[in-house]
Amino acid sequence: MKRALAGRRDRTYTLCLLPSLVVLAVVTLAPTVYLVATSLTPLDLTRPATALDFSQPSGNYALLLHDDRFWNSVWVQAKLSAGTVAFQLVGGLALGLLLAVRSGFVEACRTLFLIPMVLPPIVVAIMWKVLYTPDISPVHSALAALGLPIPALITHPDWALPAIVIADVWEWLPFTALMVLAALKMMPEEALEAARIDGAAGWQVLRHVVLPYLRPALLVAGLFRLIDSVKAFPLIYILTDGGPGTVTEVTNYYAFRQAFNFSYLGFSSAITLALVAAVFLLSWWLVRVVGARGDVE
Amino acid sequence: MALLAAVVLFPFLWLLQMSVKPTADINVFPPRLLFTPTGAHYRALWEGAFPVSLWNSTVVSATTTLLALCVGVPAAFALSRARFRHEGAIAFWILATRMAPPIAFTLPYFLIYRHLDLLDTRLGLVVIYLTFNLSLVIWMMRSFFDATPRSLDEAAWIDGASVWQGFVRVTLPLATPGITATAILCFLFSWNDFFFALILTRTRAITAPVAVVNFLNYEGWEWGKIAAGSTLVLLPVLVFSLLVRKYLVGGLTAGAVRA
Repeated sequence: MKRALAGRRDRTYTLCLLPSLVVLAVVTLAPTVYLVATSLTPLDLTRPATALDFSQPSGNYALLLHDDRFWNSVWVQAKLSAGTVAFQLVGGLALGLLLAVRSGFVEACRTLFLIPMVLPPIVVAIMWKVLYTPDISPVHSALAALGLPIPALITHPDWALPAIVIADVWEWLPFTALMVLAALKMMPEEALEAARIDGAAGWQVLRHVVLPYLRPALLVAGLFRLIDSVKAFPLIYILTDGGPGTVTEVTNYYAFRQAFNFSYLGFSSAITLALVAAVFLLSWWLVRVVGARGDVE
Repeated sequence: MALLAAVVLFPFLWLLQMSVKPTADINVFPPRLLFTPTGAHYRALWEGAFPVSLWNSTVVSATTTLLALCVGVPAAFALSRARFRHEGAIAFWILATRMAPPIAFTLPYFLIYRHLDLLDTRLGLVVIYLTFNLSLVIWMMRSFFDATPRSLDEAAWIDGASVWQGFVRVTLPLATPGITATAILCFLFSWNDFFFALILTRTRAITAPVAVVNFLNYEGWEWGKIAAGSTLVLLPVLVFSLLVRKYLVGGLTAGAVRA
């Protein structure tokens, strides 16, 4: 009797899970298989016959290895990721510590500081387009009035990438700050008190007690930002369109251009799979980091 | 602190004031801070095709959210209560779909939709948004169900309820706040999407974010209109996300960190 009941329960649980598995398989697994298959063909939308041409399955990958533009995109991506993650960690740490102060006023401000992160990414891109367009930018006019005119950043070969880094850091700083804040809330008071009783100065407490405690949270926040930085799109699309030249063309953007500007969907699929492999490696690392210290929060 | 907030929010506030500034004043320097607000940009939007794109965004986001909840919530419950073989594989796949770059799904969907005639349809967007919404629902709801006591399920069973009845009558009502938060996050992520809609729609099923960008690309530089359109896109987001700010980080990190 008991066994029969347990069996019926297990069946119900399985029935609850099944629809999700079927939908996930159809909407994610099938397209992934299709993506892999496409990457083995020289598919070019302007030549439909190329769709089922599996005669040179590794052709795209061989091409990729010797494609300077691809390697350039990887290098741009590395610079973008390093810049954004570094500034977001340092800035997020500072903002998180600042917002951790216990006062009613600061707590009311916390919500305001969240705004950049929750705005639609495309709106963030448009805001920065306004600030970076000399004709209408209040920043450009103000600097010019002060006698410090600056060139149009997003069309300048040396400044286009930093301009995107600035906008991205602005957008996602609240995320790292929030992770820092969450970790600070869990911090045991005793450790702080013990350090103070031992006569440690404020910055010594910060360096020797608070920072080591925050390290894992910072690592997780940094990895998340690193993974998401690989998907950067709206800012680049709106601000620079990958230019000038290929100065801001990250790998994701290069794959987008190959597919939807040049119609080389087969080659683009190969680039995308390289990107997916990189993201999976980073995610695997992230899971190990999180797993090693149990669930945060 | 207030000063810092003002500096940080400057780009945002500047866009808001641009949306109600007369066109003649927009590129005047020093900026006129005292101007007569105008609704002209909003009126121009209202008379154009923009309301259609807002409607498309609303319908698509609401439908995909509803579908993801209907399919995902029972699954989250099952994963929370029972042990399955290959559970690790399921969890990994859910995480992978959250982490994968959007272009990885866009390429095959674009090719498949060409054959199925689903390009530029709202249904096409609803389906591709399930790729991230379903994983989000399963992951977030699972931790909400983990937090509802099992003993209540068991009490319902003793009263003669089946697993399904216990779930619907006891556990589900308890998880209502979690379901609301999850629904809002799904809606926001769908509403905010730009990349999928950019590639999979052209005119009929165009969503509001793409419509705003089209002002930038095709209609010259009508900054007042662009600012007004952006404001309309961001307002619902601002309201809803402040409602669920407690769950924001959980939603953004879903898949690797328990909410």
